[in-house]
Amino acid sequence: MNENQRVQQVLSGNTSAFAYFVETYQDMAITIAHRICGNMQDAEDVVQESYVKAYQNLHTFRSESKFSTWLYRIVYNTAITHSKTRMWMGMQETEIEHAYDRGENTLEINLEEMDRKEVVSDILQRMPKGDALLLTLYYMEDNPVKEIAKITGLNEPNVKVKLFRARKMFKDQLAACYRMEDVGFG
Amino acid sequence: MKENKIEQEEMIIRQMMQSEMKKAPENLKFRIMHQIETRKALTPQKTKPKKVSGNVVREMGAIFGTMYAVLAAMVIGAYLLQGEDFLLTPQFIGPVVLVASVFSLFWLMTRLEAKLKARKK
Repeated sequence: MNENQRVQQVLSGNTSAFAYFVETYQDMAITIAHRICGNMQDAEDVVQESYVKAYQNLHTFRSESKFSTWLYRIVYNTAITHSKTRMWMGMQETEIEHAYDRGENTLEINLEEMDRKEVVSDILQRMPKGDALLLTLYYMEDNPVKEIAKITGLNEPNVKVKLFRARKMFKDQLAACYRMEDVGFG
Repeated sequence: MKENKIEQEEMIIRQMMQSEMKKAPENLKFRIMHQIETRKALTPQKTKPKKVSGNVVREMGAIFGTMYAVLAAMVIGAYLLQGEDFLLTPQFIGPVVLVASVFSLFWLMTRLEAKLKARKK
């Protein structure tokens, strides 16, 4: 049974069919929400609210786009409203520089205690939220630029530019933690 | 060569990022489904308006059917008891008109009541 058929099932009154969408996408939804809100408690609330919104507005879902894209867009908007975060505005170059500096100062010191996963988590937390979110969407679920643009409301060239910058920042931050050969960037 | 390097870097970043995927707590799914079920239960269900046209015809048939049956009984009774001429006298036509008026009034009242009920809903 494909997703459109499941959507039709839910629309015809079978509420329990919606559990499939919760189970399939809740991990990614919570990752997106966590990236924006910054903590797990708020992320859970956001995801719960987003799913309820998705259920209530399921009749507006057009099957031309993927259900995941539609849902992540709701999660993204709800998280932004919830945390009152500005994702893309007011981001100055100085802030980016500052993000690099902080990384260099602390990551090297703690490197031995942290495993790779924690380093990645730490780098993403230090990066501007928007950039971290783009990397999350691009690498975790292999979302193409077009889908990311739909989720974030940015245009495609903008996503490409920001993604390029985010990738570079991530690599630079990583280089501050690992020797490049260790990571495989040699 | 350069492309291979870029591909390798991409692969490493992807692996690293995928290790950072958050896991939703066990109870989140139940919380979500519970909230959805609750909201569904609290939302008044849209009921399809009943088709009233069928009822109207049936109601009309019942009332006027009875009326014509009563009138037929009266005609047959008067014909058998008083003869054919009696059917054209005012003594017979008066009760016929009365019976027809009572049934028509009854039908009118049922229609009015139905309309008022529909408006209240």
